[in-house]
Amino acid sequence: MSNKDQEAFDTWIASKAPMLNAPGPAPRDDMWAAIQASRATSQDAAAGNLPGVTPLRRSPWRLMSLIAAALLLGVAIDRVMLRPTEQGTTPVAAVPTAGDSADPSRLYRMAAAQTLTQAEALLTAYRASDPRQNAGTAQLGRWGRDILSSTRLLIDSPAGSDPQLRALLSDLELVLVQIIQLSGAPLDPADRDMIDRALQDRDLLPRIRTAVPAGAVAGGNASAD
Amino acid sequence: METESTMTLERANKLVDQRALLERARRGDASAHRALYDTHVERVYRLTFRLTGIEHLARELTQDTFVRAFAAIEGFRGDAAFSSWLHTIATSVTLNELRRLKRERARNAPLDDAMDVALSTPASDPVMRETLMRAVNDLPEGCRTVFMMHDAEGYTHQEIATALGVTEGTSKAQLARARGKLRVALAQFAKEWRP
Repeated sequence: MSNKDQEAFDTWIASKAPMLNAPGPAPRDDMWAAIQASRATSQDAAAGNLPGVTPLRRSPWRLMSLIAAALLLGVAIDRVMLRPTEQGTTPVAAVPTAGDSADPSRLYRMAAAQTLTQAEALLTAYRASDPRQNAGTAQLGRWGRDILSSTRLLIDSPAGSDPQLRALLSDLELVLVQIIQLSGAPLDPADRDMIDRALQDRDLLPRIRTAVPAGAVAGGNASAD
Repeated sequence: METESTMTLERANKLVDQRALLERARRGDASAHRALYDTHVERVYRLTFRLTGIEHLARELTQDTFVRAFAAIEGFRGDAAFSSWLHTIATSVTLNELRRLKRERARNAPLDDAMDVALSTPASDPVMRETLMRAVNDLPEGCRTVFMMHDAEGYTHQEIATALGVTEGTSKAQLARARGKLRVALAQFAKEWRP
């Protein structure tokens, strides 16, 4: 098939595409009312005015601690599940047998999904952060340390047999180390540029976004599209 | 008649107004939030609708986008355009929701056709219409998203790259890949585009 044919097709499909999922006018007022209601509820929850709702967002460190605890629990389950196999005479990577009631590789992928979800949130927050603010970069650094610990546990885990996921975790580790090393002080443009380049060159955020649903949670392979 | 200098002045004034509006929004001024919402809601809604094809889902995702944006606006640095930042949030929220729906649908298949694209205007050939819709729905996520943003909604590659966190080259490659796959899928209708 020729380039000319592809060009003709491109023109034709571009004329058809606007008819796909063509939206009507946005229901502005209805959506605005819902946004206001949602924000009011969040503010009430944060102020502790909603009975039965703990104002977790008022204490970000408590929230972070809970997330970190959940991550560590996931990794710990993985390691405990594998320990009997590692105590054998031959130090081979554990392979779940048909009789296992829990699948260690599934637990591993769940823990990896949790870590990658947190990493995505951190990297998104980093990209939106103000490099001139000490407090902001310090907070990112502390947050990054928690995720780095989980990332290294995952890299070291014998259950991590997926080479693409391991490569992703290794790339993530390098970027996290850079963010942590440069935290606590205003980032100068060269530092920031270095981290941005590392993020971009490794295509990290898109790979994380692809890996989380496809590889870690759903049980398939972590692969980039 | 407008001269180049008056147009430049107008653009500069708009920029100053936009920065002032963002500053007010950062301080929690509700009228500034509303003004930002009014400026950008149509495009965000169109994008979420294009990607999901479901009105109630597009509404929820648009709302979620603005709730998240207003919650995080204090951290918005302002050196990128607000609209780019908003579209990054919108695409992230929408793609995450589509992935969640896809997983859910895989578990409960074949429940419904949520998130499949639909041709809103009847095509001359119903078979072609059906084939086109299926071909677009069968595209890999990255290709489908870029195709819908570029060919259906008219985003530039630069806008797509910013929103999806990829390079412009990746966006162009995904579009070429999408069009290539669609041409193969629609080969039986080649007389439609061949002169």
